[in-house]
Amino acid sequence: MSLRALWIISNEKGQKASIRFSKRFSTVEHRARNLAGSSYVAVPEDSDFLQLLLTELGLSNSNKSYVADRDDCLYRPRSPAVELRLNGKGTLWPVLVLSQGPLILACLPLVDIPSEPRPPLASLLSVSQGLTLLAGLQTFLLGSGVKLDSEGLASRVATLPSLLLQVCPLGTPLDTPLAGTPTASTVPISTVTQKQPAWKTGVYRGRATVNVAVVETVRSMQYGNQSRQDLWDVYGTVTCKCEVEGALPNVTVTLSLPPNGSPLQDILVHPCVTSLDSSILTASSVDNADGSAFSGPYKFPFSPPLEPFRLCSYTSQVPVPPILGSYQLKEEENNLRVSVSLKLHESVRNSFEYCEAHLPFFNRNQMGVVDVKVSSGQLDVSKEKNLLVWGLGQKFPKSREVTLDGKISFTGSSHGPSDPLCTGLTAYIKLYLKVPDTTLSGCCVDQNSVQVYSSAKPRIVTSRELQSKEYFIWNSTGSAPVSSGQVMM
Amino acid sequence: MASNWTERISAFCCSPSGFLLGTHPDAFLAELLRELRDDRASYGVKVLLLSPLCEYPTLLCSSESVGEETALDLMSVFTQCPPRSSQFRCHLLVALTSVLVCSSCVSNRSRASLDFIDLLLQISQDTSDLHGDGTQRCSRATACDCLCEIEASCPGLLSQRLELLAGLRQQETSWLHQAYAGLQILVLRNAVYQLTKQTGAGAAHLKALLDGNTSVAWEADQEAFHMDTKDSAIQSSLILGPMGRVPTLHTGPDCKELRSVLSSLLEDSYLLTPLCQAALFHRLTEVVAMVPGIPPTIFRAQLLRLLGTNEVCLLHVTLLMKCAFTDSLFSAEDEAFLLKRLVVLSQHPLLSTPEKLFYMDCILHFPENRPISCGDSDEALPVLLTPQLASALLPTVFNDSATLLARLHLQALVFLEEGEEEGRGLAYIYDHLTALLHIVDRGGSRDIVVTFFRAAFLFLFYFQHVEGYSARLSEQLCQLYLQHTQLAPHILNLVDNTLERLPECNWALGLLQGLQRVITTAPLGQVTLGDLSCHLKVLARVAEEGKISQRSTLGFLSAVITQSSSLLCTSGDWRMGNGVLGVCRRVLLHPSLDSLLIPLADILQHLTCYYDDTDIQDHARLYYTLLTTLSREKLSVVLAQSAAEGGGQVKKRTLSCVMAESEGLTNILTVHQTEQPVFQLTEALSGLQQEMENLQLSQDEGDKALESYRAQFSESGFASQIMLKYHLTHTEPHDPRFEQIFSICLHFSLTDDHYEQLLDISVPCLFRQRPPPVVQLTLKPRRPYPTTIHVSAVFTSKDGLTWHTTMPDVHVEFQQAFLPLPVPLSWSRASRRDVFEGLWDEFCSEMGDCIISLFCCQLREAALKALVEKHFLPFLVSDLSQEDKVRVLLFLPPRSHVLLKISSEEDATQFNMATDTRQLLPHMNSYLLTVTSSQDESVR
Repeated sequence: MSLRALWIISNEKGQKASIRFSKRFSTVEHRARNLAGSSYVAVPEDSDFLQLLLTELGLSNSNKSYVADRDDCLYRPRSPAVELRLNGKGTLWPVLVLSQGPLILACLPLVDIPSEPRPPLASLLSVSQGLTLLAGLQTFLLGSGVKLDSEGLASRVATLPSLLLQVCPLGTPLDTPLAGTPTASTVPISTVTQKQPAWKTGVYRGRATVNVAVVETVRSMQYGNQSRQDLWDVYGTVTCKCEVEGALPNVTVTLSLPPNGSPLQDILVHPCVTSLDSSILTASSVDNADGSAFSGPYKFPFSPPLEPFRLCSYTSQVPVPPILGSYQLKEEENNLRVSVSLKLHESVRNSFEYCEAHLPFFNRNQMGVVDVKVSSGQLDVSKEKNLLVWGLGQKFPKSREVTLDGKISFTGSSHGPSDPLCTGLTAYIKLYLKVPDTTLSGCCVDQNSVQVYSSAKPRIVTSRELQSKEYFIWNSTGSAPVSSGQVMM
Repeated sequence: MASNWTERISAFCCSPSGFLLGTHPDAFLAELLRELRDDRASYGVKVLLLSPLCEYPTLLCSSESVGEETALDLMSVFTQCPPRSSQFRCHLLVALTSVLVCSSCVSNRSRASLDFIDLLLQISQDTSDLHGDGTQRCSRATACDCLCEIEASCPGLLSQRLELLAGLRQQETSWLHQAYAGLQILVLRNAVYQLTKQTGAGAAHLKALLDGNTSVAWEADQEAFHMDTKDSAIQSSLILGPMGRVPTLHTGPDCKELRSVLSSLLEDSYLLTPLCQAALFHRLTEVVAMVPGIPPTIFRAQLLRLLGTNEVCLLHVTLLMKCAFTDSLFSAEDEAFLLKRLVVLSQHPLLSTPEKLFYMDCILHFPENRPISCGDSDEALPVLLTPQLASALLPTVFNDSATLLARLHLQALVFLEEGEEEGRGLAYIYDHLTALLHIVDRGGSRDIVVTFFRAAFLFLFYFQHVEGYSARLSEQLCQLYLQHTQLAPHILNLVDNTLERLPECNWALGLLQGLQRVITTAPLGQVTLGDLSCHLKVLARVAEEGKISQRSTLGFLSAVITQSSSLLCTSGDWRMGNGVLGVCRRVLLHPSLDSLLIPLADILQHLTCYYDDTDIQDHARLYYTLLTTLSREKLSVVLAQSAAEGGGQVKKRTLSCVMAESEGLTNILTVHQTEQPVFQLTEALSGLQQEMENLQLSQDEGDKALESYRAQFSESGFASQIMLKYHLTHTEPHDPRFEQIFSICLHFSLTDDHYEQLLDISVPCLFRQRPPPVVQLTLKPRRPYPTTIHVSAVFTSKDGLTWHTTMPDVHVEFQQAFLPLPVPLSWSRASRRDVFEGLWDEFCSEMGDCIISLFCCQLREAALKALVEKHFLPFLVSDLSQEDKVRVLLFLPPRSHVLLKISSEEDATQFNMATDTRQLLPHMNSYLLTVTSSQDESVR
């Protein structure tokens, strides 16, 4: 349940990858040597480690099209744990790797069961612990964005020694770095009779406030084709920020659905939730939907940490997508004829924070003449001349239907971007939308249902929001890639 | 100074082995400890100084005694450190733990380690700052973490303290109870484990352990037991799956005390961070598994909370619990739920890819309540994983490559299990593979290309027997190749891997045949030179297969060199010519050569006559001659021999270089690497002694001896070199190929920057029978420290090949840098003596880097005399027979001095030292240690 070593590597485009930070836990290494006996493999020095890891991840020699060590077709699981073959000195396993943006984080968990034959990852608790620590460090180092702010990163890397003294002093991960610092005023607990949770560094003093936000995300693949079923799904998260006095205050948040709403599935809860009714967990998206399933109300009693946190997440099978689209392209002599229609479903609130349809064109020249009319909203051609941006504004017209029609000639002087998937008439529209104060599943948190067991009356704020992610409408006159095997079967 | 340390520490941590080549570990350790004691250094720097000790204690403390001393030093730093610098104190505790554990002090119960454990226990109980600012609390937490690590490295060490730890945990209300809980459960787990290994131990022993009133008799047992806990079994996790054996403690149903301890820990588990909770549950599971008197249902109350968690480590530990307790804790519904949950999590939009893939791995190794397979480590799918359930994990082209391959692997296992070879599942997988192939065809990135070939291999590995699909794949690959000939290495890699992993399968041969067909039947007019180069590679591989007819290949070659002769033959491209010859050479070895004689001969003849490159013409001519004059048997013997390793040197060289086209040619053109060092440098006696004679012409410098001595240094390059003489000799065992070698060029590379770069040295020849040549190394020190020099050499062997060899490193010892006082030979002894005394007084002032030191040892008079004569004769400035104090002056270029006054006192021999270069002292010390101890032995 411990780690032997930890590395943080930066691998920015156009720059040589380098190790920004590394740490070896010598006492764990001592145990590793003891446990592994004759099959012990020492951790290589940083520069060797970096080279081996980059090769294993396929990131070395990016200018060569084939390198035997890197591109061998023999299948080995490469994520989340890779093996590094040291020249004639055995194999280092399991090296856990997490990479996001320009950062690669890696650690080497201790194998505390016989290592011959190689045990499955699933039998090593240190693997999930290592993943948790790496993910925590990743969030800490990169912040919320994926963009590398190199100065910020350097200053955060500089704080790692003192941070690790708290969260992983001797190789055994104890906690993850705090993602966001609590904003509210807190004081350390001095004398209380109740035990304080280790995940709470102080107590809040001040007026009790509970903030609950439900955010649903809808994904969709629409083909506009009889033979291909359209797909959509919704997942939601409930985020809380609670400022409540006491070492271990009790709060209960209840999610409820409209009378005919389909049950929330795949519910995952934050570890601060104290107890769960088993019926809450039964509905699953991989089951055949059962009509008699429990459909709320969903009660989550918990004792909140100081920082904002994700109380729970769920998925839902809603009967219709919020916007149904059709996209048709026709190749004419020198033009591409485009015809789009988007229809907002009547159950969805017609009031957007934003709604945009993007029509990218790949593997063609830049756009020349764009002779396209829209029934509503505003059409822009991107600076690079390979993308139409159709801004639909805050509202669909009364008919709840908008159309785009016209011709585009690709007579630009230079080549636009290429994409191996979108060749010929394979093309898509991607929708970006955000609708405040609504959810697709109908799930909501009633202000009155939030219970806080404290003396003063708390201020309670709840909100809802619907947004899109990976919302695609494929051209129905071209072939479109399969996006779910389940439906095909 | 601080920035200097930052650089040095980062240089050390970057490559400890490289760093320590330049600095003696003892010297570095001494420097670290001195700086740590220095009040002027900031705590920021001091924390940095501790990192080598935390991360690489074994490199710096090579023995237990060094570890012990270092720990004592660090503990004194700790006691002197004010409580307010708590960060530094915590780092110190971590460093101490690292040093003591890794240098085996803890496992041998050394004095310092026991003191340190007492210190840690004391800190962990120190609740004095209950109302303070919490800095003490941080030290307490770290002290607990250190105790935990010590207990983990040396199980059972704290088992007598269980009651104390339990009390501490229960009283603590701040977040520190987490640290106590972690420590308590680990100590408890180890103590119970030790009880299971004791015959006759039972409920009473367990109770005694928990109450802390261990009987004396039992304690003695404990001591005896400590001796054999060094084996690693106790450190291993006890949750090994259905086949794992857990040692058990038979207590009967009556173990109230243990039960109440466990319940109390479980009750507080919610208050721990997820990472610590997971560790706690893991340890608790082990304890409950070892004590059958405690029912696993003790975990029931926590289970629902754990089953719904979004924390990967908490769900993971739940799976491990299931693995340990199966249906005594998890019902059939729980099992079905968990499996479904894993499928959901393996594709959950809110999770990161590594997490999802980890969950997928958990599906492959799902701990079933009643496993059917016998629990080998091979992946066996859980019975409950139906194709319908698994269909949520079918791969799509939107997956990243790791996910895509992992899903493909899982599905392959599912369909294989179902025996569903004609079903829709396999059809889907195949369509998916085709979709990938189309992406590759349309110019997918390198990543997609590699992923596609891995996917193809996976598919073949499981479904090569489904002929409909594998034949189609083969066909599609051939078409793909024709469009993208640069994929040749990928395709050939696929062929080689399939042949190796699936030896009975003919698929790879079929693919090679297909490739041969598409290459040879495609219209020649469209073949570019780039294509051709790839085609030749593929055809060469095809020609290695005896079962594939080579007629069409030869037809193609002939067409290439004749019809498009304007292109190829007249271009005279050497590489391309070699490519063609490469195919021909393999055909020469092909079993069906007899039937190919004429077309092959035609090709070779054509090349001989028309290829616009003399070298290619020559080769072709030779092949032609061999083909037309040698019998098949001879031909294959000759060619095979040139391909194989070993064999007679001279013959092999000439044949291989002419025969084996590219390989053979490169054989003579390239530099070969020897497997072993061929020769070495061994130290030759230096001629120092001779140079030191002739002191008769003494000339007195008067009072100004020191001044005029100093004046010499104004001349640049004065006395700046050390000459070392070495013999160049063969190494054993000797290799007949290298009996006589010529034109040796020795190249030296430094491993540090203490010396100026050395120039290459040429040696005309080296014969085993003749006396070894002398090689003189001229070293120009920047700092006269011991060093290691890497040596390599390029030389020519008798058969004309050029070789590169790595030679054994040359180690320059500290004493090799010693020179006598660099003054003209004409100087009198008195003047030398004056210089000595002048320098001595100066050094004693201890200004700058000057320092004095004392080294003592036990040596008898005779032994001392022998030692001085043996080691210091050239450096004496006093007369050995006349004075009671021996004065030795060691000059070390470029301008360092070490002065010695050696005298025998009644109880010891004293070496009084004075130097102007403080850094030399550790080296001098270890040198004196070596010479005095060896002298001691030799005289006795």
